[in-house]
Amino acid sequence: MKRISFYLLALLMVLGIYSCGTSTTEQTFDTSKIRRASAEETEQIIEAFILAEDSTTIDIPEGFYSLSTQLILDNKKNISIKGAGMDKTVLSFKDLKSGGEGVKIVGQGITIEDLSIEDAPGDGIKAQHTDGITFRRINVTWTNGNKSKNGTYAIYPVQCKNVLIDECIASHSKDAGIYVGQSENIVVKNSLAFGNVAGIEIENCDNAEVFGNVARDNSGGILVFNLPGLPKSDGKNTKIYNNEVRDNNHKNFAVPIGEDPNGNTVTMIPPGSGIVLLAAKDVEIFGNKIHRNKTVGVAIASYQVTGFPAEAPNWSPYTTGIYVHDNSYERKSFSIPDFTRELGKMVAVYNAHGFGKAQDIVYDGIWDENLSKTIDSNPMKICISENMEGLRFSRFYLMEGEDKIDSFDDYQKFQNCKVSVTTNLSFLQIP
Amino acid sequence: MRRILLGIGTLLIFSAGFLSCQKAEVEKEKAPSRALAPEEATGEYPYRRLSTYGFFEGEMNLLSPSEEIIYYNPASSLFTDYAWKSRFIHFPEGTKANLVDGELEFPVGTILIKNFYYPTDFRKPENGRRIIETRLMIHETKGWQAYPYLWNEEQTDAVLKIVGAETEVSFIDYNGKEQVINYLVPNKNQCKSCHNKNEALAPIGVQIKHLNNTLDYGMEMENQLVHWAKLEKLEGFDSPENHPSLINYEDKGQALDERAKAYLDINCSHCHRAEGPASTSGLFLTYDEKEPLKLGVNKTPVAAGKGAGSFKYDIVPGKADESILTHRMNSTEIGVAMPELGRTSIHKEGVELIREWINSMEKSK
Repeated sequence: MKRISFYLLALLMVLGIYSCGTSTTEQTFDTSKIRRASAEETEQIIEAFILAEDSTTIDIPEGFYSLSTQLILDNKKNISIKGAGMDKTVLSFKDLKSGGEGVKIVGQGITIEDLSIEDAPGDGIKAQHTDGITFRRINVTWTNGNKSKNGTYAIYPVQCKNVLIDECIASHSKDAGIYVGQSENIVVKNSLAFGNVAGIEIENCDNAEVFGNVARDNSGGILVFNLPGLPKSDGKNTKIYNNEVRDNNHKNFAVPIGEDPNGNTVTMIPPGSGIVLLAAKDVEIFGNKIHRNKTVGVAIASYQVTGFPAEAPNWSPYTTGIYVHDNSYERKSFSIPDFTRELGKMVAVYNAHGFGKAQDIVYDGIWDENLSKTIDSNPMKICISENMEGLRFSRFYLMEGEDKIDSFDDYQKFQNCKVSVTTNLSFLQIP
Repeated sequence: MRRILLGIGTLLIFSAGFLSCQKAEVEKEKAPSRALAPEEATGEYPYRRLSTYGFFEGEMNLLSPSEEIIYYNPASSLFTDYAWKSRFIHFPEGTKANLVDGELEFPVGTILIKNFYYPTDFRKPENGRRIIETRLMIHETKGWQAYPYLWNEEQTDAVLKIVGAETEVSFIDYNGKEQVINYLVPNKNQCKSCHNKNEALAPIGVQIKHLNNTLDYGMEMENQLVHWAKLEKLEGFDSPENHPSLINYEDKGQALDERAKAYLDINCSHCHRAEGPASTSGLFLTYDEKEPLKLGVNKTPVAAGKGAGSFKYDIVPGKADESILTHRMNSTEIGVAMPELGRTSIHKEGVELIREWINSMEKSK
């Protein structure tokens, strides 16, 4: 232990610089040349949201709209909100004076498409208590040079049903770019998330598919979490497939650089994380390109690793029923794992392959001792069916606290099993 | 030929555009007077002008109630940038509220009237004031609707303004200090950010728990619900003892725990409850919440973003300065500040009360 600490110190000093993580302020579109909409035009848009009648379309013509109040669609049915294109219609909330999000939607059968949302102080666009919500070709971003001023979530459906996020772009949010929370029946496809702390996050949700997306240059690419103490207490059944999860080596800017993580779980995500599962239930991960994430490709963890109280009604802190198969892995060369977060250090220092070596798959090895005395019987049903040749796998032993951390390259225990994860996307056929 | 037609067409469109632009400008100049042009009380709400409702007698800015409206006052008041408020309720003739299962049900046509104003000098309120806005909540057949009316500079009337507004207000506070506040009038749909029960617009102040207390009616002191019952405006109310009653959090004679809960209830629980928009957070701040985790004790945030500051839990018992709750109350930064709407300044007295409350909790071991 002492020796490790010594190495740690020495290496931290030398390699600290390399492990800092990257940062980007890349913008997909240049919106500076778009015609500035007049105050009257902007007021018309605000009115259109307030006066919207069921089964109508709100057209937002080409222009850069500078809003100082929120756009709220309140409990309407079958409304289509339509811009002239992500590079043509921009709703800027840089001057917003109050309110938690730029655009807020509540209702039934709502579609919003072809526009950009910039610089909302809180969340970009939030949909709540909505049955049938489609985001299509929506670009949500922040243009601040200093990313610590950016908002929380870019695209944020919560407590919704039948959610489709298609061909969207979410960048530079301080938490998750695309965040689906406490919802059911979800598809996130063909979208791009970059420069966020978390690219795409599915939290306390049931029945979700995430496919055909690119999650790159975030701190963590794709996350499936279940957090305690929420009205939707636990979630299950998620498929993550055919995504590109690459180069997620961005600094974790959810708290100011140099500050310790706060109570937001995302602040603990080590830069260089591909796919992270936390207290997740029934997740299938396959056909993804998991490339050049400098700390870990796939991380399977229970909530206990956060160190936060892990008890809540109708909720379990364990990650169970995981099936990881047929993904492509590539480690980042000339690089060392993250040392800025505890979980990064754990991987870097205690993995089963050697100090400072990035891992392709890690499992925190925390299991429910009520189910089994040992982990050998794979009580949490973690199934890994990959060609392990050349891959680095680490199963940690954390059951006796920090002083007895150990790790093993015993992937065999978790092979030769399957978990059947069922999702149902029939809602997509509903016009 | 086609080209010529196109040319003429373009010319026409251009000149039409030009003309309509000019017209728009002329209209804009006339706008204030048009908005204040006489309007008939047709009974079809909302009216364009506040005066059309005929709520107030004499000079309108005196806000002297006509016989059509009843003065009321919830025990505790939501903090709105130190604005003073006066509230009235109008029942359509011959109708009354019903008390059913502990909830007040109002007849269609009920109107809640809430005036927001600032005395020039808080120490001498009789020396004049500026009324900023009057918010009406009207119970229509399709449910409650909210209508914000913005007062004019002359203070002679207020006009419906659904897109919201912004105005600078200055006043002298209780300590004799000059204060300037950038007052925000919410847009119509923002009203529902607070007035929201299961996504239906709902009143906050006119609930049993807020009205079950004694009010000074000038001529007499009386329990507000007893008063309504006497006026035959309330059915199904037996006696005050059988119903919950919140205290005024400003009343320092009351227990600290009670005051803190009353404060959180009126200021936060319209969102932070199972039926409110902030149910997403799992933080529930109604006065009768007993579960420590739901009240925020050692509870990690969910979607707080920068609102969490450098802290881990909503409430750390005994440590107000490490609690997210006080951190967010003590900020004016949008994205951090709670509540999200209705204030651009810090409610110092409120922060102090909640700090004291958290510090009084036994520290976790």
